[in-house]
Amino acid sequence: MGLAHLLEEYFPPLSVICFDSFEALARNTTAFDYFFIDGDAFLINTDFFLQRRTRTAILCSANLLSASACRLINVSASQETIIEQLHETLASETLRDDDNKELSIREREVLQLIARGNTNKDIADVLHISLHTVLSHRKNITSKLGIKTASGLTLYALMNGLF
Amino acid sequence: MLLFPDMIMSEAVETYPSLIPVINRFGIRLGLGNRSVSEICSLYNLDTDFLLTVVNTFLNEEYFPEKKLQSFHTSLIIDYLNKTNEYYLRNLLPNIERHLKFFVLHSPEGNPTLQLIADYFGSFKSELLARIESDKTQGGASIPAGEDSLEELLADLKRLIITHLAGNYDDNLCYAVIFGIHSLEKDIKQNNRIRYRILHPCEEAGT
Repeated sequence: MGLAHLLEEYFPPLSVICFDSFEALARNTTAFDYFFIDGDAFLINTDFFLQRRTRTAILCSANLLSASACRLINVSASQETIIEQLHETLASETLRDDDNKELSIREREVLQLIARGNTNKDIADVLHISLHTVLSHRKNITSKLGIKTASGLTLYALMNGLF
Repeated sequence: MLLFPDMIMSEAVETYPSLIPVINRFGIRLGLGNRSVSEICSLYNLDTDFLLTVVNTFLNEEYFPEKKLQSFHTSLIIDYLNKTNEYYLRNLLPNIERHLKFFVLHSPEGNPTLQLIADYFGSFKSELLARIESDKTQGGASIPAGEDSLEELLADLKRLIITHLAGNYDDNLCYAVIFGIHSLEKDIKQNNRIRYRILHPCEEAGT
């Protein structure tokens, strides 16, 4: 079972794009979260991958001690071990993204006003901020809580005593 | 997995029991024997191609044969969506409400959060009933006026229960409520693809 299949099968919604050459990767404009490359590709294109070392994993065929700036993945190990290595690699990446899921004081104020049935314009007037800033707070609240609807945000406020 | 006319229907349903309410909407009942999908369709006087398209669309989130669906007569699709609405009214909504009622009543120390969850579901139900009523008066697929979609409301409720539920509650009843919400969310989501991408453009074009 190939690495791309393992990643897509066990770590959804992650999706994978494979490239035959570094040039094909360089031409692609997608903003990639992670790069999985073999040792040769790393050595030939060190400048590119060292700049992205926190998002690069090198595929090797033995249990090497990591003296490299990048994470190593032993692809000759059992499937179970490869999955564990991928999990550790991706989890360390996720941790950096999940710095703060707590709502800020301002976001809590906006959430309370949403829960009381205020429109975005009402909220902008009450807090003396622009409509654009209200929308930005709402986007952050939804992103942190994973709740999209006004009804869902209201229930969250009620469940957490923010009403 | 995709189903084809020559497959044994009982084997497919054994693997995917969530198909049972879908085939029920076509009038097909259990006791399927060893008949193939096309034999079952002949028995019930159904369009095999249409049944398979609906079933495959329901089973596979990524599968959406837009051209094929557009080739069916609008009345066939409206009839299926009406039967889907009936299924919500007669089965899914009462099931969830029954479990929610006991979920609230059986909370060991009168957990107030559970009533909030039941109230939220009550509001969702009002919106769903309004859409079903609107379907009847418009004779087709209505577009809800509210800004939040029905499946988003259910997805939020599921997340709120799983992530933020506090206090004492009955585990088994909680699972039953979440299972019901998840089934309804999936059903609405899958059928909304037919509603918005096939039926609504047809109505706008006056076909």
